[in-house]
Amino acid sequence: MIGASPWSRRLLAASGIFGLVFLAVPILIVIPMSFSSARALTFPPPGLSLRWYAALFGDSRWMEAMATSAILAVLASIAALLLGGLAAYGLRRGSFRGRDGAEGNFMAPLIIPTIIVSIALYLGLARVGLLGSFLGLVVAHTVLNVPLVLMVMGVAIREFDPRIEQVAWSLGASWSHTMTRVVLPNLAPSVFAAWIFAFIGSFDEVIVTSFIAGRYQTVPKKMFNELILEVNPTITAVATLLIGLTVLALAAVAAILARAGKLKQTLV
Amino acid sequence: MSDIRLEGVSKRYGAVAAADNVDLAVAQGEFVTILGPSGSGKTTLLSLIAGLNRPTSGRIFIGGRDVTDAPAQQRNIGLVFQSYALFPHMTVLENVLFPLGVRKINGAMARQQAIEALRLVRLEGLEARRPSQLSGGQQQRVALARAVVFKPDILLLDEPLGALDRKLREELQVELKQLQRTLGVTTLLVTHDQEEALSLSDRIMVLDKGRPQQVAAPAEAYLKPANRFVAEFLGIANFVGLEGGQTGVVRPERIRLAEAGTAGKPARVTEAVYLGQMVRYHLALENGGAGAPLVAALPFVGRALTPGEKVCVSWEAADIWPVA
Repeated sequence: MIGASPWSRRLLAASGIFGLVFLAVPILIVIPMSFSSARALTFPPPGLSLRWYAALFGDSRWMEAMATSAILAVLASIAALLLGGLAAYGLRRGSFRGRDGAEGNFMAPLIIPTIIVSIALYLGLARVGLLGSFLGLVVAHTVLNVPLVLMVMGVAIREFDPRIEQVAWSLGASWSHTMTRVVLPNLAPSVFAAWIFAFIGSFDEVIVTSFIAGRYQTVPKKMFNELILEVNPTITAVATLLIGLTVLALAAVAAILARAGKLKQTLV
Repeated sequence: MSDIRLEGVSKRYGAVAAADNVDLAVAQGEFVTILGPSGSGKTTLLSLIAGLNRPTSGRIFIGGRDVTDAPAQQRNIGLVFQSYALFPHMTVLENVLFPLGVRKINGAMARQQAIEALRLVRLEGLEARRPSQLSGGQQQRVALARAVVFKPDILLLDEPLGALDRKLREELQVELKQLQRTLGVTTLLVTHDQEEALSLSDRIMVLDKGRPQQVAAPAEAYLKPANRFVAEFLGIANFVGLEGGQTGVVRPERIRLAEAGTAGKPARVTEAVYLGQMVRYHLALENGGAGAPLVAALPFVGRALTPGEKVCVSWEAADIWPVA
């Protein structure tokens, strides 16, 4: 915006602030509501209490959904990290026929409308008999999160000088030794960032999960179902916890990448 | 310490040959430079020898062993790149220890070897630094120490001084030559810098479009170029017509200038470039003499000629080398 007129700068600032407020309003409403003392959803809350958090933590079905979501997110994010990381390495370092096609295939779950992916996974998992199973859920969430890992790791690998690996090989290091002792230590911040994105991506997922989860309840799926059945303030407590988790995770990513970047800057 | 032998090595990418039927024999302990413009295929050749790439055809031998199909890990090669390619997360010492650790040499023994290698490149005292805390010249010294600490059979250098400024480059050239002589390691250097090639190597291979043009000692390649490409790529070449329609090359420092009106071809100075010890004169032969313009390089004594001055140009028949 160097050289822009004061008016256009003001306009930009105003639209920026408006966008921010627009995005933040739901959070600003949900969080106070979760601490409400009222029996039904009302805003502003007539008084403050922790009763909905007590209700949440006292409800074994919510606790079960949380455990399911957490285990699912851990397994799916690790699987996505492994597959997406290896794919990113192969796509960035390799030169083979059909590389662009392969990359498109890996990125597809992010680009294709979620409802289409949901139906595809529904049909696919039904065909192999995994529909409604926990393993099926892990597979689906893995497929959904590979693109996130691929994006983060693809950039990191592209920026890493391939000659460093070539030197390691020439010095006698095997491929796996080079990977674990040379490549991964240098890409660690990006690996961690990719893992967090995948974890949050799985923990927040509701559309595909609704299609294929069967009797399994994840947190977002249960929230969705509860909203349909009855409007219960417990949901605001869950939402607040989810927002907190997401903010913390993204803050961790920002801190790690900033530190790695700053380190690089001071060193170069 | 081993010799290197390439037999009919080719690397094709579709219709393009990055290396076209290359034969080369580097003797044990010899320092050979592959010299060529960018895109001549010199780096491809190096990566084939290092095992980072497989030739389309031909065989590669190191120390008499056919390594054509051996991976880089099994070739026992010291490799140095222009970009240093140090391991950023390791200290200087850890970088140099890396190839020893891979070879299961650890502890005090490894430490002693690493310190010795760092002493050879005059980096003692910087063991605990990270690569990013070092200057370009120091980083390249670490890369050299890391490449020689495990006593490789051969040393491959890919434009190792290309990223350094001129003064440092000249300093490191001397050190590199001394290091190579001390270790007696067979060395293959790739560069586009003809001065570097002439000053460092026992022999030069001039490469163009993947094909070797000439393999010879520096002085021979300079004074007796095999063809026009070599003549023009190595220094400045004056092409003069010979009897029978042939062309000959005369180097600038073999051209003699005398006062106008004396023996020789009359010419006019078009430009005088002062280079310190030498002055380079660009000349135009008068009377439409064959092969004009000419370049002469003369020691600077007292006064330089100025553009526009008339002179007489001559050269000895013995200083002409015929090229195709």
